[in-house]
Parts: sequence; structure tokens; C-alpha cells
Amino acid sequence: MNKLLLAALVSGALSMPAFAADYTILAPAAPGGGWDQTARTMQEAFTAEGISGNVQVTNVPGAGGTIGLAQFANQDAGNPNALIVGGYVMVGAILTNMSPVTLADVTPIARLTGEAVAIVVPAASDIQTLDDLVAKLKENTGAVSWAGGSAGGVDHITAGLIAKTIGVDPTQVNYIAYSGGGEALAAILGGQVTVGISGISEFASQIEAGELRLLAVSSEERVPGVDGPTLKESGIDLAVENWRMVAAAPGITPEQKAAITADVKALATSASWQTALETKGWVDTYLDGEAFDAQLAADIAATETILKDIGLVQ
Amino acid sequence: MNTFELLGQGLIAALQVQNLLYALIGVTLGTAVGVLPGIGPALTVALLLPVTYNLDPAGSLIMFAGIYYGGMYGGSTTSILLNTPGESASIVTALEGNKMARQGRGGPALATAAIGSFIAGLIATLGLAFVAPFVVKFALSFGPADYFALMVLAFITVSAAFGDSPLRGLTALFIGLGLGIIGIDQQTGQTRLAFGILDLLDGIEVTTLAVALFAIGETLKTAADREQVEASVMAVKGSVWMTLDDWKRSWGSWLRGTFIGFPIGAMPAGGADIASFLSYSAEKSFAKKPEEFGHGAIEGVAGPEAANNASAAGTLVPLLTLGLPTTATAAIMLAGFQQFGLQPGPLLFANNSSLVWALIASLLVANFMLLVLNLPLIGLWVKLLTIPKPWLYAGILTFATLGTLGANGAMSMGFGSMRISFELVLLLVFGVLGYLLRRFGYPIAPVVVGLILGPMAEQQLRRALSISQGDPAVLFHSPISLVLYAVAIIAVVLPIIMRMRGKGAVLGQLASDED
Amino acid sequence: MSAGQSNSTRRPDGAALVIAVILAAISIIIFWQTSQMRVPPIQQRVGPTVFPYIVASGLGLLALGTLVSALRNGFPARSKDDYAPIAWIVGGLVAQILLLSTAGFSVATGVLFALTAKGFGRGPLWQTIPIGIVFSFIVWFIFARGLQLSLPQGPVERFIVTGSF
Repeated sequence: MNKLLLAALVSGALSMPAFAADYTILAPAAPGGGWDQTARTMQEAFTAEGISGNVQVTNVPGAGGTIGLAQFANQDAGNPNALIVGGYVMVGAILTNMSPVTLADVTPIARLTGEAVAIVVPAASDIQTLDDLVAKLKENTGAVSWAGGSAGGVDHITAGLIAKTIGVDPTQVNYIAYSGGGEALAAILGGQVTVGISGISEFASQIEAGELRLLAVSSEERVPGVDGPTLKESGIDLAVENWRMVAAAPGITPEQKAAITADVKALATSASWQTALETKGWVDTYLDGEAFDAQLAADIAATETILKDIGLVQ
Repeated sequence: MNTFELLGQGLIAALQVQNLLYALIGVTLGTAVGVLPGIGPALTVALLLPVTYNLDPAGSLIMFAGIYYGGMYGGSTTSILLNTPGESASIVTALEGNKMARQGRGGPALATAAIGSFIAGLIATLGLAFVAPFVVKFALSFGPADYFALMVLAFITVSAAFGDSPLRGLTALFIGLGLGIIGIDQQTGQTRLAFGILDLLDGIEVTTLAVALFAIGETLKTAADREQVEASVMAVKGSVWMTLDDWKRSWGSWLRGTFIGFPIGAMPAGGADIASFLSYSAEKSFAKKPEEFGHGAIEGVAGPEAANNASAAGTLVPLLTLGLPTTATAAIMLAGFQQFGLQPGPLLFANNSSLVWALIASLLVANFMLLVLNLPLIGLWVKLLTIPKPWLYAGILTFATLGTLGANGAMSMGFGSMRISFELVLLLVFGVLGYLLRRFGYPIAPVVVGLILGPMAEQQLRRALSISQGDPAVLFHSPISLVLYAVAIIAVVLPIIMRMRGKGAVLGQLASDED
Repeated sequence: MSAGQSNSTRRPDGAALVIAVILAAISIIIFWQTSQMRVPPIQQRVGPTVFPYIVASGLGLLALGTLVSALRNGFPARSKDDYAPIAWIVGGLVAQILLLSTAGFSVATGVLFALTAKGFGRGPLWQTIPIGIVFSFIVWFIFARGLQLSLPQGPVERFIVTGSF
């Protein structure tokens, strides 16, 4: 038995190249999650395109990415080969966790992908359109229970923003937080809550099967392949996207930053990356340089305001 | 095509010589890695999944099924023999199983665990094939209030593991509940009891606590006790196989464990640990000789082990029918399915029926392979006990720290250039706690149970009250919760009546219990 | 802690008194920390502080119960434990924690292995440490190289696997 085990292991070990790493990518999440998948897809594309010889991915999960972010900012300062994957969830988590390390302590490089937030109801619900939902919220905000991901995350922020935009008190939003994965979906399918709010990919197969009814998506434009209006089309002037980005270490020189940005841009436009986006159903929202910095600053400011409005942050 | 034909086709595919070989390799690897203390099924599956990547889809699935069942089963071996469960679902197995092993009955304990796992796996996999749509409907009908009722029932059953002193049992439970508060509160995002330490924001990892309290606490306690260090272990006393009496006492427990484990595994917020707790207390209530519990009752191994494995198959119900990963292991499996372009969800059975049936057939074959592999090996496993203690415990600590490092061991704290792993510090602190608890006669299991159930009960209660906008009547609204509360009341009242009729004979037995 | 048991007299159990004090202290810490928490004004009938208060109260009551039990000598008789082996093993775990980042998995865990064996009376260390390092290296190789588990590597691992430090 041990021989079999060893044989399998040794063959695995020998097949690995042993030269030094070019980039190291820190995924501040457990293996399997969105940030981990982004990091590992980058790893594959970097090596496949020959942009980087050998790329290592390490996982430092916890607390909406803030644990990984803190470790990255402290340990990799000045290292021009270190990258970290992150996203919008981090912005909220930094604020609610009162994280000592923020995105200002790293060097954001570029936004890579974005995902719309979807608002759904179970097929049996009496809510047919977003207007019905708005009417219910205006009638009694607390009576509408929302199921979504962790408190202070993108889902919660979007629910708060919808309430604020239609003119009801965001602190009255009855948001029920579930740990990721299937728990929120189970509560929605089981009719335990009024509406569900989460990334469109979490719901896509249920919408397709007719188990869930899509009321709206939060993106600027309709999501290809999904039959549902945007919030703006439905009369709520609001667009939110759960984006993912890549950042470099603090304390690098402008030349080093430019070199990393060039590499990331080459990655984002490469055939391997584009193919991977397609198979994973991610939407390419590449943005770098000053435009990205401006968007990041605007998102952080808006998030801080809404988290204060909801009452999660002082 | 009907279900039988589909399953038959799947079986024909799975039974090819090549696929049988893959199943055997998968089961062997899964058991070999899963048997190491500190490495539970989730980590085993995560580690070994890449081994399957190079095979064709059918071969890959079947090897994967073998790894999954092997990893589930492997953990019970060290629980029974060494009192070092690698994950929360085998804690209860350790309670009775290790007592049996110390009496030289490790062989029958391992056998009842292996056969119980096989029978539970068989029934539950068939359940997955034939009744999955009904089970999933039932599981989805569980709302937060019903889960809360289930937690109340589970809390009451914890008292079955309290040992001889309610004071010390409750203290152990409350230590666990206290540890469960640490971290970010899910409903409001506020930090509780983290004392400014970033690593505590996500709370205490159940595996770290369980491995520390059991593996490290046990090592310290054994080392501190001269007599235990020098005592020679009798690996086998009597037969290494189950006696007729063992069979008679086990089969009912296997079936009960299966019927408890399968539906609870299928629930989105259920899980193998809760199933094993409930099964243990059910066995204690149904046992003809409840006084043997705490001293090596075979029912206390047979039931929870069956429940544990049935719940593993139950987990696949929401995964395959709805695409819902309800455990860490299931989430990793989901990633595994996606490598074949399989998208679990309501359309999976319709779009990929042949692969799904191949998987179900693979599970049946893997389950059988597990039995074939493990029954002959029992004689070898019990020899683990004859390894000289210095090397045995040095090895246990090596793997316990390896598992903790691998699962959660980021070097997140540092002084200057030296980095240290906070998780290992926790492992050490809880290990010493485990020693002290043992030294002063506190039971260990309730601490872990408190950490698992406390946060779940709190979250479900708060969700229920939030959805009802504060109306507590919601807790008693559904028939499911009423039934669960009724069972809970029976579980409290029945032993009292039995005890009164038994005129303290049971209590007398328990009082003579030294650990 | 007095390990000697001469509890036939009505002297209170010193160690149990200490446990009662520790439980009370934990209860007070939870109360105090929870009272410092900011409760968000969200729709929450049962807020994030309710459960900690319940646990803290329970621990407080259990501290009282332990106190009573200590005064009545209600704790089971304790075996006479030897603390030297515990010191060896705890020392091994501490050494592993401190050595991991600089010396790598094999050396750090090899030291843990040898000190644990020492705790069980097997030595001398100059023999068991090399045995431990070889054993830990084999384990490291299987898990870190073969199964891609991320385990810290040091000079030993780098030298053997890549041929340079």
C-alpha cells in the first residue's frame, strides 16, 4: 500500500519544475473561492503565455481578505515580485473589521473582472417584478427579509443602497447573513426569506431551471445570457459591481509598478486569460492606471457612506 | 430509462477492471492519508483531488469516490486506537471506541466501524439514487426556527457525553460556547472577544481545537503518568473479530445510525458531526445495558460510525440535486466536478445523467472496496498500539502539527524577522487545556461540541427572530420544530424515569468511572 | 497546584479553588468585553451581545458551583502526575513554533519529535534529533512536494530538493 502511495507521490513530485519563482500571488481566501480561483487562473495564464516562468500561489484565508492583506503589506513590502488578489468585498471588510491595514497600504495595479449582483425570489413568490419589491419595501421595510452573504459584504451593501435609493431607511433593511456556499440559496429555495441577493453565478443554474425568478441585476448593462433587466432599467438609479483586482506590494518604485502593470495588461489581453474568463463565466472589466485609482477611491468613499447609513460602521 | 437501468449502466461502467483498480487506489490513498491524526476528510479530499486529474472522467470520478469514503473512514481508526480524532465527526467514536481498544477490544471496535460504515454507505448511496428528490424537499423545508430546535435537541443529547458530573460536563460545554463567541458576528459584522488579534477574527477552527484537546492533551496526559508510559499494551484480548454478541448488539445501531445520518447530512446546515452526536445519544437511550456507556459499549461505536458515513452520502443529495455544497468537503468536491465541466445544480441529472449515475455507481463500488481493504487490515491496524510509546506519540504530534499547518498555518505573527504560526500557538494552548481538563476529571467532548453547536444555535435563533421581526412564536410555528422539541423532552424525561426504576444501579456504575 | 492528595480531612481542594477563580475571571472578561461592544442600530431583535451575556452568566454560575464543590472536596481523586515529561513535550511544541520560519519544517518538527520521545523517556537527543529530522523530511517531501500542501521550507528542504540553499 505504501508503495502505491509513494509511487503516486513521487511521480507527482518529479513532474514539477524546480526553478525559482517569478511572481508569487497571495490569495487572501481559502482554496476554491473566487479570489483563489482568480489567483490560480492568473498563475496558469502567466506561465502559459510565458510572461512569468514559475508562479506560486499561497492562500491566507480569513476575515474578508483582511488577514491576507495585512500579512502581504507587512511581509512583502518592497518586493517587486509579490502580487495579491482582492476585490470589492475587501473594501467593506476593511471598514467593518476596522482593519489596521487598508488598500492604501498596498499598490493597486488593475481591476480584472466584475460580477453583477442578482436579486431573486423563489418561483412561488407573489413578487413578480422589481416594482412589486419596491412597493413592499415602501410599505413595511422590515417585513422584507433578504438572504445573502456575510454582513457588510457586497450583497448587504447593494441591499442597503437599493433601500437608500428608493427612499426608505437603510437601517430598517432586514438582512439575514448566511455563510457563503449553498446556505443562503437553500433558504431562498425553501421560501424561508422574501428575497435573495448574491452574485449572479450563485443563482444562474437555478434561474435557468425556473426555480428562482430574477428581478434585476445590479450592473450597468444587462448580463449576457441572462434574461433580466438592470436596476437602472427598472427605475432605480444604481449600479454596483463585485469586482476583483490585483495589487502589488507597498514601497515599490514607479518603474517597478509600471513593469508589473505591463505584465498584468499582457496577461489580461492574452488568449489564455480570455479563454479562462469564458469557461468560468467571468466578465472582463479590465481597468488600470489613473482610471482604476479614481474608480477605487470612489468605491471606497461610497462604501463607507452606505456602511455608515446601514449602521455597520461608525 | 428508469432508475434501475441507469444505475445498472453506471455499475457496468464502474465494474471494469481498470476502474476497479482506480477505486482500490483511491480507497487506499484516502484511508492512508485520512488515518493520520489531524488530517480530516476535507483536507484529505483537497490534497488527493489533483491525483485524479490525469484520468478520464469515469476513472477520475471513481478514484475520487474512493478517496472520499476512504478519508471518511480513515479518521475513525486513530480515534478508536489512539483517542486522537482528526475531525469533529469522529469525536464520539473515540468516546466508546478508545475504551474498547484499551480493553484489548480494538479489533471488534474497528470491525463494527468498518461494517457499519459499509452498511450505512450502501443504504445511503441507494437512498441518494432513489429518494434524493424527496429528501431534498424535506431538507429545504427546514427553516432557521427548525434548525434552532434541532440544535436544542443536540445540546440536550450532549449531556450523554458528560460522564459522571453534570457540573464538570456543563463547565466543559460552556468553555466551548465561550470559545464559539470569538470572532466576527455573522449577522452584524461586529468583532467579539478578538482582543485586537487579526487571526481571531474568523473564530476558533474546530479542527484545531479537536486535534489539540484530543491528540496533544492525550499525549501530555499519557506522558505525565509513569504507569501509563511503562504499561505494556495488550493489543488484542480475546478475538480480533466480532463475536456473535457483538453482531447482535451492532446491527440495530448500524441501521439507526444510517437513518439518523442520511437526512441530517442532506440538510444544508446539518453535517456529520451533529448526526454522530444524535446517534450516540440515541444508542445510549436504546441500549439494553446503558451502564456500559463510558466503558466501551460497542453500540456507541457502531451507531455514530454508521451515522457519520450515511451523512457523507447525505451531503451529496443537495450537492447533486441543487448544486449546494453544505460542507467544506462538498465545496472541494464541487471544484472537482467542475474539472469535467459538470455544473451541479437542478439541471445536472438532466444534462449529465450518465456521469451522475457513474458517480453513484462508483460510490457503491468504493464503499465495497473499503470493506474489502479494511477488514483484513484490522489485524495490522491494532498493531499500531504495539509501537513503542516514544515513537508513537512523537509521530502523532508530527502529524497533528502537520495537519494544522497545512489546513490553516499561515505564518501570520512575527517578531522582527521571525514569523510564527498563530494556529500552532492555539494548538499548544488548547493542548495544555486538554491536559488540565483530563487531570481534573472534566470530559473533553462537550468543549468541542459547544464550539460547533453554540455559533450555529445562536445564528439560527437570530435569523429566525429577525425574519419574524422579533416574534418569538415563530420558534414553535412549524410541525418540524414541535416534533424536535417533543423528542428533546422525551430525551430528558426518559432517562430520569429509567433511573428511578433502576434504583440508582446505573448511577452506582457511573460513579466508579475514573476517567 | 498541590498534586499530593491528602483530602481525607475537610481541607478545601486548592486546585479546584483555582479553577473556580479562573472560570469567574473568564466570565468577567466576557462581560466586560461585551459591554464595550458597539451594537449597530440594525433591525436586530436579538443582537450580538445577548449570547455572550448568556455564556458569561453561565460561566459565573459554574464558577460558584465549582467553588462549592471545591469546599466539599467534590473533585475526583487525581493521579500523581510527573511534570518533567510535560515540560519536554511543551518545550518541543514551543521549539517547533519558533524554529519553523527559519529552520523549515523538517528541522523544527524533528526537534519536536525528539523532545516528545525524550518526554516518554527515549534519548539521547543527539540520536533522536537526527531520526526526527529524517522522519519529518520524508513526511514533508510526501505532503509538500507530492500533495502540494503548503508547509514552510528551510535550508534543509531547499538543499535536498534543489541542490542549493
